[in-house]
Amino acid sequence: MRELFRKWMEGDQDPMESILDISMQADQSRDERKQITHEKRRMLSADPGSQERVEQDRRWFRKIYLAVAVISCISLSLVLLYTVSLMPRYGAENPRTTEVVSRYVEEGIEETGAVNIVSGMILDYRAFDTLGESHVLFTALVCVMILLRIDKKNQRTGYEDYYTIRSDSYFDLSRDPILPAMGRALIPCILLYGIYILLNGQNSPGGGFSGGAVIGAGMILFSAAFGMQFADRFLTLKLCNIVTFVSLAFYSFAKGYVFFMGANGLENHIPKGTPGAILSGGMILPLDIAVGCVVSVTMFGFYSLFRRGSIGMDVDYGRFASGGRKGKLTASSLKDSGKAKGTASFSKDPCKAKGTAFFSKDSGKAKAAGRKG
Amino acid sequence: MSIESAYQYLYLSAAIVLAVLVGIVLIRSVIGPRITDRILCINMIGTLVICIIAILALRQEEGYLVDISLIYAMISFLTVLILASVYIRTKNKPPEDGEKDTPSEGGKEEGHG
Amino acid sequence: MAEWIRFWIVAAILFAGIFCYVLEVIGIFRFGYVLNRMHASGIGDTMGLLLIVVALMIASGWNFTTLKLLLLIIFMWLTSPTSTHFLSMVEMNTNPYLDRYVRRREKT
Repeated sequence: MRELFRKWMEGDQDPMESILDISMQADQSRDERKQITHEKRRMLSADPGSQERVEQDRRWFRKIYLAVAVISCISLSLVLLYTVSLMPRYGAENPRTTEVVSRYVEEGIEETGAVNIVSGMILDYRAFDTLGESHVLFTALVCVMILLRIDKKNQRTGYEDYYTIRSDSYFDLSRDPILPAMGRALIPCILLYGIYILLNGQNSPGGGFSGGAVIGAGMILFSAAFGMQFADRFLTLKLCNIVTFVSLAFYSFAKGYVFFMGANGLENHIPKGTPGAILSGGMILPLDIAVGCVVSVTMFGFYSLFRRGSIGMDVDYGRFASGGRKGKLTASSLKDSGKAKGTASFSKDPCKAKGTAFFSKDSGKAKAAGRKG
Repeated sequence: MSIESAYQYLYLSAAIVLAVLVGIVLIRSVIGPRITDRILCINMIGTLVICIIAILALRQEEGYLVDISLIYAMISFLTVLILASVYIRTKNKPPEDGEKDTPSEGGKEEGHG
Repeated sequence: MAEWIRFWIVAAILFAGIFCYVLEVIGIFRFGYVLNRMHASGIGDTMGLLLIVVALMIASGWNFTTLKLLLLIIFMWLTSPTSTHFLSMVEMNTNPYLDRYVRRREKT
């Protein structure tokens, strides 16, 4: 590594030279784009009636769009103003702003055992609310997974091949020699710092949400610095599912226990500990850890899904990265190669063979087989 | 003038100067002709805000505010990294489909705008 | 009296750091191109932050906050050159008119 840096500094060798594309291609593509729009314009001008029709449609659409936008804005602001008018005045004599707050401030430390009143509030008094919040995060992750995830089932429709290659064509930062060298020093510190915030939630500001966010950011940095394939070795979808499920189930059971004991007037056997120590606050620390796990998994999952459509090794990337790029996986080229070579060249790979059959369009049977099997 | 109030005035004046600088950098990020100008300005605003938060931590005598500035530094670093990975083109990108069916291609090469 | 000496040292270092930031902000308006502006932004990222945080460390005395501020300096000095490196890479890679601003070295 040191040798590489020395050569780089002296100008003998540029490690990014074979990877980066520092050419004037942008100009070419811009000219091509201009040509395409020019051709479109010419096609439109060949038919004189069509241009007017398009213009008319566009004008109507603009009017309707403007009207709908104004109406929805006005109605939304009216609803919000009406809601505000129903709220009690700030600082007025209502129990929410006087009695509840003063009880939290005065007796919060005794009742929850947490020095940080906010942590005691969100994980003890209002723990049910926090349970809902972590479920909202989980639901958001599941929704993104439904929309964006690439797995073996929808790989063979053809579009996903394209998206996989497209997302994989983003520059992989781990090919640069600087970031891994820096990440090796920095990422353990970030993860340790996140764990510190997570575990110290009942004593200082922080707790589950912010600590989980820091850990998730550290995981994102890890997968950016060392490459997605390296991160895929253990940050898999299975692990994400297990961690999320175990955390949410643990949260539900632990809080259910406390609610059950409290509602029936039974004694709570979980000790509160001395305020200020690490092991204090009763159930706050385990619940913090559960929330932090959910938040970090959600952050990493969002990044991973939006970046390339999967968490972990569900998609075999090497296949697309090496074979796909060289083989020009576009529709037209696949059609040609499928006709010329048949499926012989792809016979080792059943999934790709089906994809070829789908693209070739010459037989309905192959299409059906590709969809079924 | 006691020593505490002197420190208060010192921190306040430093924070005000830095806040004015944030506003000036924001102007640059609006008029910056290229996308890298804007990313650079956002990075600089991040550094300035980190300093402001650190000064505020000393002014309020609340040490935990330094934690927030650390997290801010990390997030602004991560922003630049992820944006770079989106914008950098590599040599072996998928051929031929670059023009037709990549809608974000325009944003990628739109230098001036 | 010792307290006041410390106060004046803190004030001097703090305003030296702010002076670095002012230079930085002047620089990003005076320079004409992004790769030049990065030079200006580097002043604030390294020297300005160092001076301001060192001033705060002197003011805070010897406690846990000082350690965290030291961590802040280490973190920023590691991350800021890296992000500048990637930013210049983005600029090299996406500017179609790069040869107007940059003279490339001929390969030997």
